[in-house]
Amino acid sequence: MKFLEEMKMLGVDVEEGTERLMGNAALYERMLLKFADMLQKTPVSPDFREDDCAEAIQSIHALKGAAGNLSIRPLYEAYTEIVDLLRAGEISRAKEEIRAILPVQEKIVACIRRHGQE
Amino acid sequence: MEKKTILIVDDVEINRAVLVEIFKDEYDILEAAGGEEALAIMNQNEEISAVLLDLLMPGIDGLGVLKNMNVTGRIRTVPVFLITASESRELLLEAYHLGAVDIISKPFYGHFIKHRIKNIIDLYSYQNELESIVAEQVTRLEKVNRSVIATLAALVEFRDCESGEHVRRMSTLTWLLMQEVSERYPEYHLPAAEIDKIGMSAVLHDVGKISIPDQILNKPGPLTAEEFAIMKGHTIKGCEILQKIPELLDEGTYIYSYDICRHHHERWDGRGYPDGLAGDEVSIWSQVAAVADVYDALTSDRVYKKAYSHEVAMQMIFNGECGAFNPKVLEAFRQSEDRILELYQEKQEEG
Repeated sequence: MKFLEEMKMLGVDVEEGTERLMGNAALYERMLLKFADMLQKTPVSPDFREDDCAEAIQSIHALKGAAGNLSIRPLYEAYTEIVDLLRAGEISRAKEEIRAILPVQEKIVACIRRHGQE
Repeated sequence: MEKKTILIVDDVEINRAVLVEIFKDEYDILEAAGGEEALAIMNQNEEISAVLLDLLMPGIDGLGVLKNMNVTGRIRTVPVFLITASESRELLLEAYHLGAVDIISKPFYGHFIKHRIKNIIDLYSYQNELESIVAEQVTRLEKVNRSVIATLAALVEFRDCESGEHVRRMSTLTWLLMQEVSERYPEYHLPAAEIDKIGMSAVLHDVGKISIPDQILNKPGPLTAEEFAIMKGHTIKGCEILQKIPELLDEGTYIYSYDICRHHHERWDGRGYPDGLAGDEVSIWSQVAAVADVYDALTSDRVYKKAYSHEVAMQMIFNGECGAFNPKVLEAFRQSEDRILELYQEKQEEG
């Protein structure tokens, strides 16, 4: 299956994401790869100390902006929820959400990596 | 037309890439991955038409960049748009207070932000252009103003009505004294720019003397009653001269110089001339000019007298020998005695 078709199957709004880049599909694919790189550099993980979540907020907030701009809907929505929960001090619920989104995130990253290396 | 330049500041490359893609056809783009880099780029580029600024960045963040732009004054001429993904309201509010013009929310919608940003860039460049035109015209007007004043003052000096030094000292003294009065008494407070204009206008206080016949103007002995009546006429003659050239002076300078010409011989008790006005019927600048004129006349050599010392002149002014003055102006005069002496010292050294 083609890269972007597969991304669509994973819930990514490819049309919207491409449109946001003024219709430049090649650039969109390159940016998806950048997103995978970002996740590699700042992985999302539930293993942070409960009394110090500033760093988690900052990195997930940044990922949220990027996911939003690329219309990676499932991740954008989950990150938004997680950042809101962390800001509200609901740490354990935030950690639950993180655990729930990790498999989805993994599938998306795997797809990007597979096609990005083509 | 030459492309305008916009600076995109975001630590996340993906966000920058999206913005670059949106704007690259119509603008030259500069990119910064953080606050430090953004400030360095701004230092090197005068020609930035807009800044798209992320707020949350490691190192110097968006607020830091805004603060710096306030210090450099750049914030007045370059519109800053905040790139945000739902930061707290307090943070956004603070950014607005620091001069940000608008918010661009992530995720971006290209066509919308393109239009919003273009509209504001156009408005800013229109405003900047108008401001520079106005500044240019003000400078030109000021030049004309100064040269008209210098010409008239030279005329007064040439006809031997007054020495050039008297005119310059009296003008500086008026300016200095007016500052003191303005600072000391709220009812007489004036902005610094107005006080500058008053000082400049005072140069013309005796311009009417060019119409006084030589034999009266330069008579070494005391004037007869008739001669003195003609001499007094220099106040009104000065106004008549100014009335013929109002368009050559800016409005403020015209009003001040006209008023000082007419009223710098009025006295606090109404016993001056030409109108016999009393108290604050006379504007504060003409009251101040009157004291400055008397002090300088007393401390200078004239055809009819030798110069008095500073101490004697002060005594004569304060004991009413030269007519009554506003006690507040006299108090300001006393308070600025040191600065006045300094001024005379300087002028003497220059002379």
